[in-house]
Amino acid sequence: MTTGDTVRLVEATTPRTAELPPLERVSPGSREELASLLAEASASGRRLLIWGGGTHQGIGYPVEADLVVDTSRLDRIISWEPDDLTLVVEAGARVAEIEAELATKGQTAVLPEVPGGATVGGVVAAGVSGYRRCRYGPTRDRMLEVTLATGDGRIVRGGGRVVKNVSGYDLPRLATGSLGGLGVIVSVCLKLWPTRGFRATVEVEDPAAAWRRLYRPLAVLQTPRGSFAYLEGVPDEVVAKADALGGRWTEGHQWPGPPDGEYVVSIRVRPSDVARAVEVIPAGWDYVAQHGVGEITAAGAGSDTVERLRTWAESRGGWVVVLWAPPDSPVDPWGTPPQGLDLQRRLVGAFDPARVVNPGRLPGRI
Amino acid sequence: MASPGRRLALGAVTLAADLRRVLGADRVSDDPLERHLYGKDAGVFRGRAALVVFPETTEEVAEVVRIAEEHRVPVVARGAGTGLAGGAVPEEPAVVVALTRMNRIWDVDLDDRTAWVGPGVINLDLSRETSPHGFHFAPDPSSQSACTIGGNVANNSGGPHCLLEGSTVNHVLGLEVVLTGGEVITVGGAAPDPPGLDLRGVLVGSEGTLGIVTKVLVKLTPNPPDVRTMLAAFGTVEDAAATVTGIIAAGIVPAALEIMDRAMVEAIENWLHAGLPVGAAAVLLAEVTGETATVEDEARTIVEIAQANSAREVRIASDEAERALLWKGRKSAFGAVAQTAPDYYLHDTVVPRTRLVETMGRIYEIAAKHGLAMMNVFHAGDGNLHPLIPFDSSDPEAWEKVQKAADEMVELCVRQGGALSGEHGIGREKRDLMPLAFGEDDLAAQACIKAAFDPSETFNPHKVLPRGTSCFDRAVPIPEGAWI
Repeated sequence: MTTGDTVRLVEATTPRTAELPPLERVSPGSREELASLLAEASASGRRLLIWGGGTHQGIGYPVEADLVVDTSRLDRIISWEPDDLTLVVEAGARVAEIEAELATKGQTAVLPEVPGGATVGGVVAAGVSGYRRCRYGPTRDRMLEVTLATGDGRIVRGGGRVVKNVSGYDLPRLATGSLGGLGVIVSVCLKLWPTRGFRATVEVEDPAAAWRRLYRPLAVLQTPRGSFAYLEGVPDEVVAKADALGGRWTEGHQWPGPPDGEYVVSIRVRPSDVARAVEVIPAGWDYVAQHGVGEITAAGAGSDTVERLRTWAESRGGWVVVLWAPPDSPVDPWGTPPQGLDLQRRLVGAFDPARVVNPGRLPGRI
Repeated sequence: MASPGRRLALGAVTLAADLRRVLGADRVSDDPLERHLYGKDAGVFRGRAALVVFPETTEEVAEVVRIAEEHRVPVVARGAGTGLAGGAVPEEPAVVVALTRMNRIWDVDLDDRTAWVGPGVINLDLSRETSPHGFHFAPDPSSQSACTIGGNVANNSGGPHCLLEGSTVNHVLGLEVVLTGGEVITVGGAAPDPPGLDLRGVLVGSEGTLGIVTKVLVKLTPNPPDVRTMLAAFGTVEDAAATVTGIIAAGIVPAALEIMDRAMVEAIENWLHAGLPVGAAAVLLAEVTGETATVEDEARTIVEIAQANSAREVRIASDEAERALLWKGRKSAFGAVAQTAPDYYLHDTVVPRTRLVETMGRIYEIAAKHGLAMMNVFHAGDGNLHPLIPFDSSDPEAWEKVQKAADEMVELCVRQGGALSGEHGIGREKRDLMPLAFGEDDLAAQACIKAAFDPSETFNPHKVLPRGTSCFDRAVPIPEGAWI
């Protein structure tokens, strides 16, 4: 077996964080305070930009706001039931702190592995997932319950604090990735997973083949600096798999940070197109490609490159979503709008009739 | 002037004629027997179909929706009718849209591990089709040899193996759906996280109240390389429930964790002779999947936890035949009840797993208080209870008692921090119990979703939400110029 120095691990960079705009800022300390702020904004037409950790503020059309509402004071763990594998947490809680707490009892909410200052609410609102979605599914699959303050200041709850539930419409999933379209996420109940056993990061030559060969790896990532399979489980089995994959591995999981550049984009394609997507990315661009998932985060310069990547991805039934762009970017942040845009508009209108929460940010400038 | 009933009858005639122009005479039925049969699902409620139609294409479904809307008659989509909550039972005379003929499996894509399937494809047929290639469709309700994928989507169905794999929503990547006005859209897809709101997520589990799903992109799950199925017999149901809590607390999420109580085990054994331990107060069926070292390690831990909770007997299935027999016993449990009484009422509620022991004890007390027999077979691993009450529906007093006991059981579970339904849905059965779990504004928010999708209330009306629930009554003044 080979460990340590022989594995060239990817350096974990810190995610980019947006600068707060020069606007008045309020930090509600309770959901009631938040709700009355929203009711007042709806009555007066004051437009609000919702702020968590600032790590996903580059997504969507720029928001013209009058006031920043930051969720940093809504950061409590409301309940953690380790024996039931559920966690109820307020939106402003930091992902890094929550995961550190959960790890003390060998559990995880499978939130992004390199979160920077990201908050739970921000991750849910942006609909982003960690690399381990390859094994555990996306963040929305762990959303058991959501409490929202709607645009017009009502507190509404959907779902429940149990792992299986069909009681009415799935508001928790609808809220995931809604970027403020339904209001402000106050708290969520997340399904947790136990993390058991021995961990290894294995260097692989052919990541697509490694994904096909492994039974449910946590992740298989490809970067310009190497490709890695992430394993966890019974020690003998993990070591046997690591050896079978080529034998260059190290204990523990070392995750790459998100690439950074003038443009940072999320290329989303069917899983079998990941290898092709990597070939389409030009030299000089950095990327992390998730095999088995279909998401490639890529960063580099040139709006024309982004347009070219988008044309290619959309021709294959996929999407390119801009995560960060320069202020004067000519690139549309979403690309071709999804089907059912009128329906999305009606849904947003029902929850935020005066359209005061992150107005215009969603596809179709909803 | 014609009476209202007469007017309705005339309306039905022109409606039928319009539908026959699209579907032909043989796929629009006004036959009284057919209308009677399609007015019921596998539960206890009965409604009446005005007409039953059998579309074969998306375009035909869209036309049916357009015509029904023109005639202001609701549509109720239906798969195999195995639902138990009255979700497919028309509450008022409706066009019942039977989707069983839309049963093609297209494009099984083993590279992407997906398949596009018609809503009428039978759940087990999909797994049979893909199993030789090493994949299956993970949701496995007990009715899987009869129920359809469209019905699974409507109810976000589960099954024993959704403890590890998640319910139907985790296995549906995209949907083609017919909306109001006959508009056809595709939401989701094989590529992850499409931009915009997750319409796919809210359509799954919406019980046919938002639109009619005409194609489903399902995720295929790799068959596990190894499996261990074991059975443990206990002297009390509480010991079995405590074992379940102990397994989850030990950091193991098995593929399945099922409990059957004494009455249920006896009913199964009388009929199937699967070798289940008759006489035990509870039998726990546990299955772990994965690679050999993992399943051996997890099976060992589960056996230890069962023994620590006073298991009388623990056995591991020695081969595939023994494993299949154990599962056959579990999955045919509801059929086995027929020998006990002519009818049964099957409940579906959820409690946090930490409340299993206490809740089970109190559910037995409720049944005893009402002088009712009760059998239990349930998905213990995710806290999903299925108390089953055998009774004779020809005795009106018995039915009244059953309903009373059932309502008390739901209330108990909700008070324990649980949910109204884990996998059967709200339908008509639990519609009026929704206020137990949700406040007025929570329900109004749900009504907003319904209103945004279905402003003409065409799709399966009066289901899921209590009558009178409507989207928010806007008290907030809307500023001038604001977009609504």
